[in-house]
Amino acid sequence: MAAERQSTLRQRLFAILVAGIGATAASAASFAMAVYDAANPEPIAAIDAGVQIDTGKWNVMLREAYLSPAPPTGIQPPTPTTFLTVEFDLENRSAASAYASTKLFTLDPPVEALPDFYLERDLWVAGPLNPGMRERMIATWELPAGQTPPHELSVMVGSQIYKRRDNLYGASGWFDREPAARVTLPVAARNESIAP
Amino acid sequence: MTGAIRTIVAVLAAAAALYAMQRTTPVYSEITSPVRTNGQQGKRVETRNFAIGIAKVHLARSIDAPKSGRPHSYTTSGVWVIVEAAVQATNESLSLTAAEWLGPDGTRYSMSQRLSTLPGTPGTEQLEPGVPRPMLMIFEVPESQLSGATLLVSQSAYTPLSEEAAVAMTEVQTDDIRPVITIKRGGGTLPWVLEAE
Repeated sequence: MAAERQSTLRQRLFAILVAGIGATAASAASFAMAVYDAANPEPIAAIDAGVQIDTGKWNVMLREAYLSPAPPTGIQPPTPTTFLTVEFDLENRSAASAYASTKLFTLDPPVEALPDFYLERDLWVAGPLNPGMRERMIATWELPAGQTPPHELSVMVGSQIYKRRDNLYGASGWFDREPAARVTLPVAARNESIAP
Repeated sequence: MTGAIRTIVAVLAAAAALYAMQRTTPVYSEITSPVRTNGQQGKRVETRNFAIGIAKVHLARSIDAPKSGRPHSYTTSGVWVIVEAAVQATNESLSLTAAEWLGPDGTRYSMSQRLSTLPGTPGTEQLEPGVPRPMLMIFEVPESQLSGATLLVSQSAYTPLSEEAAVAMTEVQTDDIRPVITIKRGGGTLPWVLEAE
């Protein structure tokens, strides 16, 4: 009786030990992989202008970048301002109309201002883009006074992932992920007075 | 032996129950989704807060309408859908601000913001109980999404559990797409005037 009980106890201890070692090894491996991934990030693909990029929620195709003294509406700002302007094609891949996100593009050299998006058809502020209906868009960044306009612009195009249930509310939605691609564009000047 | 079988069965049953619950949990948007009242084009649809009836649907390749006071031609890669409706609040003053064209494949096209400042469009006026008012809704959709669509109208796109009228658009004349429809400001009973070329 006593020997049997002792054997069960030993078996139990052994099982706990094996499970403990397994769990420790698993968490150590997972942690090591996370550290390794953070230390060796996947290089971001360099894509040419005029090539379509699938970012998850959008299909983006950058066309050209230039400097302009006015936004696409043509309404001159009261004080002389330089607008860093990027023309691109945008197609909504999701199942509902959506606004273009201000986080879609990250510029290098960085510009503090958030971009404004314009619809090329109307030369007016863009509303939500309809699914599957590709549109020519214009993004503008207002350069702060004193900032030298760049000769070349590196645009990091963000990506998005769809989650049927997010971790907080269990709500469906699109979430920003790491950049999908980097596109380098020469910056032309549309007006001689503001040439870089 | 029976004890072991019983344990295995209990564990399997628990796993099956958990799996079923995990698969069938409604997502947040389903829990808070609008309360739908279904109806049909040409008939009056009554939700708890408002009533709507779809009078006419026009299709066009392009819309001529004023843009900040100047004439402008609104082009599209798809088709413009212009819906003329009559709406009425039931119990209290309210505004209808959200309209969506739910395509036959489940894709949602929200009311075009390009023409949202025209008189009579959702959000431009307040409805008073008992006073029917005309309403103009304009959508931009691909040609494949014209037939078999449903029109969704509600007070707000963001309020959870809001009342929503879902009107099955059964009588859209998909072969009658006008090249240009001009929308002008109206003066009489309708706040707008449509002219087709």
